[in-house]
Amino acid sequence: MSCDAQRRRVLAALAAGAASSSSLARAAEAFRPGPPPGPKSAPSRPVVAVARREGLAAASGAIDPKLLEAALGAAVARAAGEATPVGAMRRLFKPTDVVGIKVNCLGGRGVSTRPEVALQLAAFLQAAGLPADRIYVWDRTDRELRAAGYAIGAGRGVRVFGTNEDFDERLVEWGPSASRFDRVLANELTALISCSVLKDHGLAGASLTMKNWYGVVHNPNKLHDDNCAPFVPHLVACPVIHDKLRLNVVDGALAQCHGGPSRAPRWAWPYGGFLASTDPVAVDAVGRQVLEERRKEVGLPPLAAEGREPGHIAGAAKLGLGEDDPARIQRVEV
Amino acid sequence: MSGRRRFLAQLAGSGAGCALGVRSVEGEPWPDPFAPGASPRVEEGGLNPTPARWWKPLADGWAECGVCPRACRISEDERGTCGTRENRKGKLYTLVHSRPCSLAVDPVEKKPFFHVLPGSMALSLATAGCNLECKCCQNWEIAQARPEQVRSMTLAPADVVMLAKKKGAPLVACTYTEPVVFSEYVLDIAVAGRAVGVRTVMISNGYVQEQPLADLCREVTAYKVDLKGFDEGFFKRHTGGELKHVLETLRRLRKHGTWTEIVALVIPTQNDSEAEARALSRFVRDEVGPETPVHFTRFHPSYRLQNLPSTPVSTLERCRGVAMAEGLRFVYLGNVPGHPGESTYCPGCGRVLLRRFGMAVSENRLRQGACPDCHRKIPGVWA
Repeated sequence: MSCDAQRRRVLAALAAGAASSSSLARAAEAFRPGPPPGPKSAPSRPVVAVARREGLAAASGAIDPKLLEAALGAAVARAAGEATPVGAMRRLFKPTDVVGIKVNCLGGRGVSTRPEVALQLAAFLQAAGLPADRIYVWDRTDRELRAAGYAIGAGRGVRVFGTNEDFDERLVEWGPSASRFDRVLANELTALISCSVLKDHGLAGASLTMKNWYGVVHNPNKLHDDNCAPFVPHLVACPVIHDKLRLNVVDGALAQCHGGPSRAPRWAWPYGGFLASTDPVAVDAVGRQVLEERRKEVGLPPLAAEGREPGHIAGAAKLGLGEDDPARIQRVEV
Repeated sequence: MSGRRRFLAQLAGSGAGCALGVRSVEGEPWPDPFAPGASPRVEEGGLNPTPARWWKPLADGWAECGVCPRACRISEDERGTCGTRENRKGKLYTLVHSRPCSLAVDPVEKKPFFHVLPGSMALSLATAGCNLECKCCQNWEIAQARPEQVRSMTLAPADVVMLAKKKGAPLVACTYTEPVVFSEYVLDIAVAGRAVGVRTVMISNGYVQEQPLADLCREVTAYKVDLKGFDEGFFKRHTGGELKHVLETLRRLRKHGTWTEIVALVIPTQNDSEAEARALSRFVRDEVGPETPVHFTRFHPSYRLQNLPSTPVSTLERCRGVAMAEGLRFVYLGNVPGHPGESTYCPGCGRVLLRRFGMAVSENRLRQGACPDCHRKIPGVWA
């Protein structure tokens, strides 16, 4: 089944569910996944833009706002093949979209997506013509967002909020599991940006843009067996995510090569840059390379040697979600 | 509006109580979780962080849970698979102690226990969470949820026991979800109940490590284990766990001398072969004991198994026949109200000892735990 057809099926199920909330079985059937979705744009060699700036982030965590805007803008622009970040946003999003910027704030301040980064992405969107009230910056809970330095409510007119356990009532069967999805994601958002952190994960190996989506289901605790590898790709392939996902950004102003997902200052370093791509698999593959390079520099073994091979990246490529072969990824320094 | 009225109004609103898996004891006002000084104090999100009993610290602030065979390694601010145990600053906490999300008074036959105080009522409770994810989970709204996602009440162990006494229930049944994930609460209820003659029973998937099981067996009266299949491949696909650990639990229960009954849910085309019933029966006979009651129970479509029909009664009858031919003495059919396989027969003379219809005991001929006709002792907890 094509992505469009699958999306229509999902929307039809949502509409039916809104009319009658008692049909779990029918909804579950309607959500039953079809064949793997395949890449949306399928560029022959996807671009992952890497933008680093000397002095972007100090070891203390302080960030230079001008360098942030320049680096993030350069990464986003190149990822979309445009000259400017505003052009990139115009290419990737429609003025009528409701855009969700999914941040990752699990680890608290220092190992979460920085508010400045999420709000700068929102500023690019606004400059591209999207009204602020149709741009959401969100994560699992207000508590985690606050701990990461976000002000809940409206930041520069943009809505900033936690889902706070508000899940759509329908159970969605997907690959090896079944979940209830974030109600806002399921019912309001039409386009997505995954804005994660460049960090290690003690079970999954790396927690980058794809694993970030664990924050939109009610049962992330059920999805960590076997290094998360069987789960992440199928979750990202869910139409409710896959069909809306336009841009993937990794916040590496400060990064962490070991001891994640929680904060481990000993293993943090000012990478001073951002990764961006329209291909979630490619950007995660490059993010993983960056982590491995840093691990080698500081004398840590490769992730695989610790039994933490991030197999979900290869799994996502096998599922047709993107490219994981470094030889086929254009890693472009901008 | 008072706290209690507000709480009840919330429960009543749009059927939320049912949808969220919250049930109240009929006619019994809910304890007021908003009352001043309500104990224990519950934090935002309805969590009640209480130091966990079975875990060990790891390097870099990680913790390893020691409750179930998953032995989840949990980083700070993260939880284990069950969703109820959280690492806070390097220490593990259970979030559900004294926070049941489901509470009802049921016949003990519903658990099912057929050899434990027949005809008695059991105050039955659950908290959120489970360490497996069975595709046919009947209570997935609470079992597959994290504690913040269900409406829970505050009920300290002593209050549970007091409520059981008030309702005339000699038993507290820890059930509906997976009580292993709230083992600390179970233990505290069992200890509180022992002092006043209220016994505690477990209705479990048997997915538990050796030490918590030993601790539970010292305090609980009986343990029902759901043996969800007898093939490792099926068990892994169906539950996400490993069968070998459940089998080990059954062996350990025998060593502990804890009264044990086994439920085998028979799912059409999945675990309903004669060979599987035979292998299961031989295991029970040889390693748990031929007098261990086994309930072959009828599957009905639920959760992620909506595409299969209910189990034909003939399949259950065939399983029962196989088990009895292999030497098991007490083999029952479950979820087939009115079937003769619901009743207990004396293995000595073959006469009916306990006649049941569904969850009701219509006739009890046992005399001091023995057959009134041939005087054979019948194993169980009868008084």
